[in-house]
Amino acid sequence: MFQPKYKWYDNFTTLTGGLIILGAIILVYVLAGLNGSFGLNNPFERFTMLKTLSEFKWMPLLIIFTPAVGGGIQLFFSRKTCYSRDTVVIVMSFSTILMTLLMYPTALDGGQLLSFPGFLGLGLSLKVDMLSLVMLLITSILWFLVMVYAHAYMIKEKRCNRFFFFMALTYSSVLGTLVSADLLTMFLFFEMMTITSYMLVTHGQKEESYSAGYNYIFMGLLGGFAIFVALVLMVVYVGDLSFTSAIVALQATGSIRYWIIGLLVMGFGIKAGMAPVHVWLPRAHPVAPTPASALLSGIMIKVGAYGVLRVATSYYFPVKNTVDSRFDPIWLTSETIGFSIIWLGMITMAIGVFLALQQSNIKRMLAYHSISQMGYIVMGIGVALYLGYYGAMGFAGSLYHIINHALFKSLLFMVAGSVYLHTRENDMYKLGGLWRKLPLSATVALIAALGISGIPLFNGFVSKTILHHGIVEAYEYGHASFRYAEWIFIVISAGTVCSFIKLYYYVFLGKMPDIYKSIKPKLNSLDVSMAAIAMMILFIGLNPSLILDLFIIPELRVISYDPQFINTYIVGMSVFTVSDMSIMVPIVILGFLIFIAGTKFHLFHLKLPGWLRIEYIFFYPSFHLMRGACRLLYGDQCPIDKKEYFKMDIKHNYDVGFLDRFVVLSHMFDKRFEKKIINSDALIYTILITLVIIIMMFV
Amino acid sequence: MIEQLPIINLILLLTTALVIPLFKKQRFMVTLILSFVVLFIVWLSALYLLYHVNTTGAFYYRFGGYSPTIGLELLINPFSALFTFFVITLLMIIFIYSTADASDGIHEREYGRYYILMFILLFAMFGIIYTNDLFNTYVFMEILSITTCAIISIKRKKKNYAAAFRYVMLNEMGSLSYLFGVALLYMVTGYTNIELVFQGVQDVWVIYPTNIIIAAIFMIVGLGLKAAIFPLHIWLPDAHSAAPSSSSAILSAIVVKVYLIILVKVLFSVFGITIIEALHIPSLLMVIGAVGIVMGSFFAIAQHDIKRMLGYSSVAQIGYIVLGIGLASSLGLRIAFYHVFSHGIMKSVLFLSVGAVIYQRNLRKVTAYNGIGYMMPLSIGMFTLAALGMIGIPLTSGFISKFNLGIAALDGGQGIYIIILVVSGILNAIYYLPIIIAAFLRENPENQIYVSKDKVPLLMIMPILILGAFIVIIGVYPAIIFDLVDSAVSTFSF
Repeated sequence: MFQPKYKWYDNFTTLTGGLIILGAIILVYVLAGLNGSFGLNNPFERFTMLKTLSEFKWMPLLIIFTPAVGGGIQLFFSRKTCYSRDTVVIVMSFSTILMTLLMYPTALDGGQLLSFPGFLGLGLSLKVDMLSLVMLLITSILWFLVMVYAHAYMIKEKRCNRFFFFMALTYSSVLGTLVSADLLTMFLFFEMMTITSYMLVTHGQKEESYSAGYNYIFMGLLGGFAIFVALVLMVVYVGDLSFTSAIVALQATGSIRYWIIGLLVMGFGIKAGMAPVHVWLPRAHPVAPTPASALLSGIMIKVGAYGVLRVATSYYFPVKNTVDSRFDPIWLTSETIGFSIIWLGMITMAIGVFLALQQSNIKRMLAYHSISQMGYIVMGIGVALYLGYYGAMGFAGSLYHIINHALFKSLLFMVAGSVYLHTRENDMYKLGGLWRKLPLSATVALIAALGISGIPLFNGFVSKTILHHGIVEAYEYGHASFRYAEWIFIVISAGTVCSFIKLYYYVFLGKMPDIYKSIKPKLNSLDVSMAAIAMMILFIGLNPSLILDLFIIPELRVISYDPQFINTYIVGMSVFTVSDMSIMVPIVILGFLIFIAGTKFHLFHLKLPGWLRIEYIFFYPSFHLMRGACRLLYGDQCPIDKKEYFKMDIKHNYDVGFLDRFVVLSHMFDKRFEKKIINSDALIYTILITLVIIIMMFV
Repeated sequence: MIEQLPIINLILLLTTALVIPLFKKQRFMVTLILSFVVLFIVWLSALYLLYHVNTTGAFYYRFGGYSPTIGLELLINPFSALFTFFVITLLMIIFIYSTADASDGIHEREYGRYYILMFILLFAMFGIIYTNDLFNTYVFMEILSITTCAIISIKRKKKNYAAAFRYVMLNEMGSLSYLFGVALLYMVTGYTNIELVFQGVQDVWVIYPTNIIIAAIFMIVGLGLKAAIFPLHIWLPDAHSAAPSSSSAILSAIVVKVYLIILVKVLFSVFGITIIEALHIPSLLMVIGAVGIVMGSFFAIAQHDIKRMLGYSSVAQIGYIVLGIGLASSLGLRIAFYHVFSHGIMKSVLFLSVGAVIYQRNLRKVTAYNGIGYMMPLSIGMFTLAALGMIGIPLTSGFISKFNLGIAALDGGQGIYIIILVVSGILNAIYYLPIIIAAFLRENPENQIYVSKDKVPLLMIMPILILGAFIVIIGVYPAIIFDLVDSAVSTFSF
């Protein structure tokens, strides 16, 4: 009854196309005005109305509530047509971009603190500084474009009202995480994000989405609890949760300071897909509907990285202008932390690329690349901490890569979705030659692939070069072992290149299977949004200094980095130098070599042996132990051998997760002992009272 | 006049219980309206007393004007005023629910009797909280356990009788242990008035330590048995799952808490912190609480019947309160009291929303909740909210409990218990989340994909919504409760 009529050329495409052009004009005008290019003046000085609006104190709160209120309105409209509902979605997302832009002047001054004392006991507070603003801007732009995409993508799916409603709630909580000014507020929105985005992951309601979603929510909750413990430690040992320097108080706590950052890195790292705790990501991202996976990979994992960046550079850095040397002992803590984070990042990069090369499902491969690219970002954060006073390069690199990865990864997911929508196929080996049928998708996929591979003139090159500078500095100023880190960095970049050559070759080039000959694509809002993101990739790739000058350098100056260092190395930095570009030559050549070797020797179809899997290593011994114990208890009547406990069976060792086993264990225990416990009531009472008497009389 | 209010409340409740049978010939509505009016009056007076003691201070009511050495005494201080207010507020909301859902397994003839029992229950709980006398507490405790037994067995099914029998036997054991302790204390001090006993105990502690140790052990274990503290929780799952939904909520959310309140009184007002610490009771309580938190959840995971699961979940949540009491600091006690509120509200929401599901669909198996969220969005929505609170997601009162309990534990040098809190959160997630996921994300048998309204009476859904709103209100702005709780905690000396 609520099924709308499906038209290719609908008004929606016109509307969104218009909005995108309007947004682009506003964005270019504001950014160019702020930067002083094309002879434009700063719009905030030119129009007093904008200036007054930008000083509006409640803006951070307003921006959080806009999508949530939109979600409510959507539900009201959803009964009528998809069209009016999606119009609300689009308008709400568009207005958040404008609100973000309006906050630029206050963010440049460090942001206004908006606090709500008494809420949740300790009070909540919001603030938008430059780091938040960068994240907000990329989030809102990308969210808007993905929502444009989502309209055309979701139109054939069931239950899209629910999807868009939870999308709106997720958006609110992401924005909330980004504008929080203390750890409690951040934790609040972070948990909300876990819960609301769960609904997006499981939206498909297939068995694999349940298991992926189960994985997702429990890992998310685990991360939440890690942050929770860190929060408790912070309250008791430091007392102040706001994102200001706490290093003096932390240094007095001894080893607790490493526990706090360790728990925070684990908590945020789970969301960010960091190496040992990334396992949920390759399952959850592919099963979500494409708009959701684009945002999960594009934005939500970045929120985890943002969390690490935020807590590390605020709590563990000294107050600005109180230190003037990188040899100050106050940096020792962050140096130790940074050292481990760099290596965590390297491991993440390596695991991600290595596993990505083995995948045949496009979305799974992209998800593994998300892990690998998060490794770059995490490594950048590590450098930012490790070098302490001189860490500005790492910070700039990771923040820049957050922006760039958000763009190209969501674009790649959208291309995968577009391919899936036309062919109903996600396996890259079964596709081919699609560039004839989907020329626009093929073009934007090329742009995105060149971006992620780090080819000059595309955006990935800029941030990867800055990150490369960072890691080189790490061994110049710090430990010699980072020489190897640089080599790994280059090899992994080559692996990325190879992986995308493979993707592009199998999907868009090569021979087209006959069944796809009948595809007749037409222009709709899918293409509009993909083209818009591709344009942004090109724009950043060609004007790398714009984002550095407008957003990243002002943020670097707020953090207690060496201003001298920033002025010398980052201001006016040009990435298009011969030495930087020439690094790309061996990377690309190596990438091609791996690809050729891989196709020739079928290396991409390697399956790791079963005993290497964590489940196997962990559960094989524990299963035997349990069965041994069970046989001791019951003899031949051992319930593990019976069919009802098939889940404990060795054959299912791969499919049954830790939680399932725990549930089965508790069922067994319950079945065996609950009745006995209940029936031995008086005995328990007697034993307890005797025990307590013994304890109290004689201890 | 104000001095008379507590006793007027008690008499009013008892009289109502006696008057209800007189309306047997009239329509049932008369009973309900009368009951509600009485509850509302008592609620108003409890509210006024709460305001009064927090502004002008505590006062005593002495029966017949006898001196406390021989007479009975009621003590109305911020502590007792707060908990009577808690009891009557929650009970009034659950009462509204029960008017629509009394059909849950209760025979039509029994409706009136159910409300008689409810009023006697309330009378006993008010008495327990107000009284300042150990023996008087015992008398009210007996009234309470016998009434509770009657409430459990009101459904006239074999299962209920078994549960009620076990309940009454174990509770008698608990009561008698408590009485034994009181007798031992009376032996050495010569009083049963709490304040006089306190002074006496401090004086004779050096001379008769054995008496006092044995008394402490029996009183604590006896109360622990009645409060379902972990290894003594044996009666709880059967009793709570057998009772009608509204009574399960009353039992889990209120009645069990009353015994914990007496436990606090016994520990800190009768024995005093010095004796308690000399006997290692706080560390013992903390260990018992922590074990209860984990084991309660562990058993809850294995349950097939949702009400049994909620019962075991109560065992785990009582562990939180015991842990807070065991910290034996004002921070710990503060959070224990807060959790009495927090758990009371959350568990009522859970039991009542499950009751609504049983009312509409008659589903009791945890695996049968597929797609139920589309048919009963409000009930299951509130169930979800309360379950998230149990897990400890921010914006709910459960998070505030957990967070402050963590802070209190670390502040008291017991950081290890933070791990228990985390484990408990994960365990709670293991048994609550699959239900929520099934309710909202699985296909239901009727293949309904659009949300429809709950088909339960408005009087059932409104209390659930009100309590759900409370979860969020005291979760977002906990100072409302903390202000009251702080003044209640200040009546105990540390």
